[in-house]
Amino acid sequence: MRPGTTAADTGPHPDTAAARTAAAHTEGAPVTAARKASRTRRARGRATGAAAGVLLTPFFVLFTAVTVVPIGYALWLSLFTEKQSGLGFGGATSVFSGLDNYTAALGDRAFREGFWVLAGYCVVYIPLMVAGALALALLLDSTLARARRFFQLALFLPHAVPGIIAALVWVYLYTPGLSPVVKAMNSGGIGFDFFSSGGTLPSVVNIALWEWLGYNMVIFYAALQAIDRSVLEAATMDGAGEWRTAFGIKLPLIRASLVMVSLFTVIGSLQLFTEPLILNQGGSSTVTSTWTPNMYAYTAAFSRNDYGLAAASAVLLALAAALLSFVVTRLTNRKGAKA
Amino acid sequence: MTSPAAIPGQRSRWLSRTAVNGTLLLSVLYTLFPLVWLVTAATKDTGGLLSGEAFSFKGFDLGHNLSQLASYNDGVYFRWYLNSLLYAGGGAAVCALVSVAAGYAFDKYAFRGKEKLFGVVLLGVLVPTTALALPMYLLASKVGLVNTYWSVLIPVLVNPFGVYLSRVFSASYIPDEALEAARIDGAGELRTFWSIGLRMVMPGFVTVFLFQFTAIWNNFFLPLVMLSDQKLFPLSLGLYAWNSNTHAEPSYYPLVVTGSLLAVIPLIVAFVSLQRHWRAGLAAGSVK
Amino acid sequence: MSRSWTRSASALVGTATALAVLTACGGGDSKSDGAGKGTADKPVTITFWAWQKGSKDVVDAFNASHKNIRVKFEEIPSGNAGGYAKISNAVKAGNAPDLVTVEYPMLPEFVSQGSFQDISKYVTDDVKKQFLPQSIQQTTLGGKNWAIPFDAAPQAYFYRKDFFEKNRIEVPKTWDEFKAAAQKAKAADPKARIGTFFPDDPTTFEAMAWQAGAQWFKADGDTWKLNTADAATHKVADYWQGLIDDKLVQNAVSFSPEWTASLKDGSTVGYLGASWGAGVLKGTVPDQSGKWAVAPVPTWDGKPASGMLGGSTWAVTKGSTKTEAALEFAQWMSTTPEGIDARIKSGTSSAFPADVALRPTAKKAFDTSFYAGQDIYRLFDSAGSSINANWGWGPSMGTTNTTLKDQLGKVAGGSVKITDAIGAAHDATVTELKKRGLKVEG
Repeated sequence: MRPGTTAADTGPHPDTAAARTAAAHTEGAPVTAARKASRTRRARGRATGAAAGVLLTPFFVLFTAVTVVPIGYALWLSLFTEKQSGLGFGGATSVFSGLDNYTAALGDRAFREGFWVLAGYCVVYIPLMVAGALALALLLDSTLARARRFFQLALFLPHAVPGIIAALVWVYLYTPGLSPVVKAMNSGGIGFDFFSSGGTLPSVVNIALWEWLGYNMVIFYAALQAIDRSVLEAATMDGAGEWRTAFGIKLPLIRASLVMVSLFTVIGSLQLFTEPLILNQGGSSTVTSTWTPNMYAYTAAFSRNDYGLAAASAVLLALAAALLSFVVTRLTNRKGAKA
Repeated sequence: MTSPAAIPGQRSRWLSRTAVNGTLLLSVLYTLFPLVWLVTAATKDTGGLLSGEAFSFKGFDLGHNLSQLASYNDGVYFRWYLNSLLYAGGGAAVCALVSVAAGYAFDKYAFRGKEKLFGVVLLGVLVPTTALALPMYLLASKVGLVNTYWSVLIPVLVNPFGVYLSRVFSASYIPDEALEAARIDGAGELRTFWSIGLRMVMPGFVTVFLFQFTAIWNNFFLPLVMLSDQKLFPLSLGLYAWNSNTHAEPSYYPLVVTGSLLAVIPLIVAFVSLQRHWRAGLAAGSVK
Repeated sequence: MSRSWTRSASALVGTATALAVLTACGGGDSKSDGAGKGTADKPVTITFWAWQKGSKDVVDAFNASHKNIRVKFEEIPSGNAGGYAKISNAVKAGNAPDLVTVEYPMLPEFVSQGSFQDISKYVTDDVKKQFLPQSIQQTTLGGKNWAIPFDAAPQAYFYRKDFFEKNRIEVPKTWDEFKAAAQKAKAADPKARIGTFFPDDPTTFEAMAWQAGAQWFKADGDTWKLNTADAATHKVADYWQGLIDDKLVQNAVSFSPEWTASLKDGSTVGYLGASWGAGVLKGTVPDQSGKWAVAPVPTWDGKPASGMLGGSTWAVTKGSTKTEAALEFAQWMSTTPEGIDARIKSGTSSAFPADVALRPTAKKAFDTSFYAGQDIYRLFDSAGSSINANWGWGPSMGTTNTTLKDQLGKVAGGSVKITDAIGAAHDATVTELKKRGLKVEG
């Protein structure tokens, strides 16, 4: 039990000196005190229970309505398939099909390939993101950095740009014939086509990196700032340079935020959707409509009108996400136990 | 500068300083460059935008673009703007309150099955949002909410991550002693939350509010599915619709670009003016 | 996901009057508002979803001139940008509008989902007579009528007359000549391309196959027969593969900023599109007015032949209780001059009405100065009558075209050949039809 809830219940205690003294004088006093205390405790318990209920209810009512019920409904939908007869122009009827939609999704190469794309994306994006944000935070936290407030804000600003607008802007900046970047690269002898099949992954990674780098940097920086300065001063006294202070002392101290950022980056990566969608619409034909599992589910529902398949693939993706974050937390926890 | 070459130690420190600040400056160029492009591009007419010279001020047309934006389709753009403010402002305020209340309860009270319940909340973070949109639409249509303000507002009132953050904030901002003092003074539990807890957790509240505001402002998939009446559109969806029009009519390009620029401004203003709060908030959220 | 095929329809032209069968006869609708005709005293309100330019103006004009029906218009994103998803979701959820727009290729998909009403009893022989036979054939599925045609979309070739003349390039009449012209243009200006391969737009490719005489979907009794490996399809696939491998055509997403920029800077000097493309092109590069001309699409043997690229129809949704009112409005849009005036006034549209009698009106209304006064409607007219009547769309074009599009996107990179892309679309279609419980061969 947390101190917050128990501390309130420490009414007159029978074991205190005062109580003992009182007991010496009057027989009934300790009994009354104890009874009173237990009554207060019970009342307090009821009050806190009721308060917790009142405070939690709005969230859980809403959570049930917009998350739990739709998930249940998605599970339900995933068990049905639309069947038709004749040439199919007589309309469709919904038929219970067990796990058929799940086997159909798993049996579809496009769906499985989506996971490979995602794996490739994670392998490139996550290290870049974590290392980049961390490096920037350490630089900013070093004694050498100037204009910290400005840098922090300027690096963070992309996060304030709606994902759609970010993607739209970057599509312009990728487009040959329009983009000053492509023009500069071409005149510099680097002919890179962001819309080619080899350019797809870097293009998407770059947009995501741009949107989230500053955000994660601020989290790391905040953690670094929270480190007790006397620890760092002691290290400097011992003759540790910036470099050693950063990696030997600061880094281990902000492990918790490292774990948190990694976890949320993994979860965010699995839901990759908006950036490739806009890229796909804006000029990159190499981003397919089933490029990531999330897009697969979207396409199944909205281009193929197959709600059962869409629901099944979404459920499979959610399961994969749950599994992966379980593994990530387990791994980091074990490391934490060793450290 | 006093001849840095004279003392090797100083020289190397000067070099390191240049390297550190130079790297930071380069990163800032990377993050700001697309935003600068957005600003200069918003001053262009269609021809200027599509000629690849968006960086120059040739064909400066910002005034024209703005008046186009204001007048197009009876000024529907500013209607979208107001809608976005309503969705994001109202939604984020309620969401932050709901989250903080739940986070506070998770932090300060003990009750049976608490950690299991909290685990359910954390699982909620994992659910792919696109997976929920379709069943949510079908359910909303059953209760007659489709194509109303509510169909967009209600789903954004929930943010499991906000509850997680709020619990962390509550633990680090609200000392139990403060609550204790209030209780000794005879304040009821809810009263204590309202007048002490909420006040003390304000930086956390602002953080949750701000990030939910951003999330709603940026949200377009849910409105795309839920809304068909243009008058109810938020900015993101309106801009998306216009952007898909550019394919047949390039004269929409300046509208999309100028509209995007204006759409980014309130968020930047919010983040810049509230930076003290969200920095403190993120700090608290990350340390734990 | 770009959409030349979802952009097609844009204007209405017409002279005919609303059909007798649909005219509100007043008074008689009290017993069943199921038919929902509406009177001046008790007007019926219908909801209409579309994305075509000028729809709002058409609706305003209709509401101003009709007392028995009020149309509530809601603009939706174009088909593949989310419009089709909205329609099928709304039908599924039971809150669909009364009337929606759908393009010919997607009509069978919607019908097979059970999204639309069978309107056979309203589409009498008198109605059918008004329209280009191919457009009626495209809206007749399983012997029933499902939609009112709006425009027909014969293929056409748009080219920069100034460029062709300056470099003494003959306007190609056959595909062999087209290739030769492409080589000549490239020799004259290494950046110039006289056409584009749109990796995002399977319907452009399908129109070429259609033109060559392919017939991918055939209904035989209760069985769907799929044939994408025929000689015509092979011929078209190999031809385009050659153009792409030799870099004789642009490879860009249709109407993307990249493609539009290439039109602007003069590196794309030709465009293989359809009748509606005349208006779109005019809106895309207004500063090149007077420099463009239109020619019939090249053919394999030099004789006129065309596929159909896009084209829109109006359909009544399953849940609607106001069928007659919705159809009256649909008819008004497709077959009366009032609707046309309203739409034409609102923007740049070159829709080629499926209603044959309205073509002179359309021609008169379209400002051809962009094409230096060329009589483009006469050209569309002959192209329209050369539309190959064999082609029919399959019941799962959502799956077929999504797969084809995804694969065509990889062609320019060299990892996939066009024939492989068609093969993949074929397999995905067979799987999908089987999943739905339909009989399929091929």
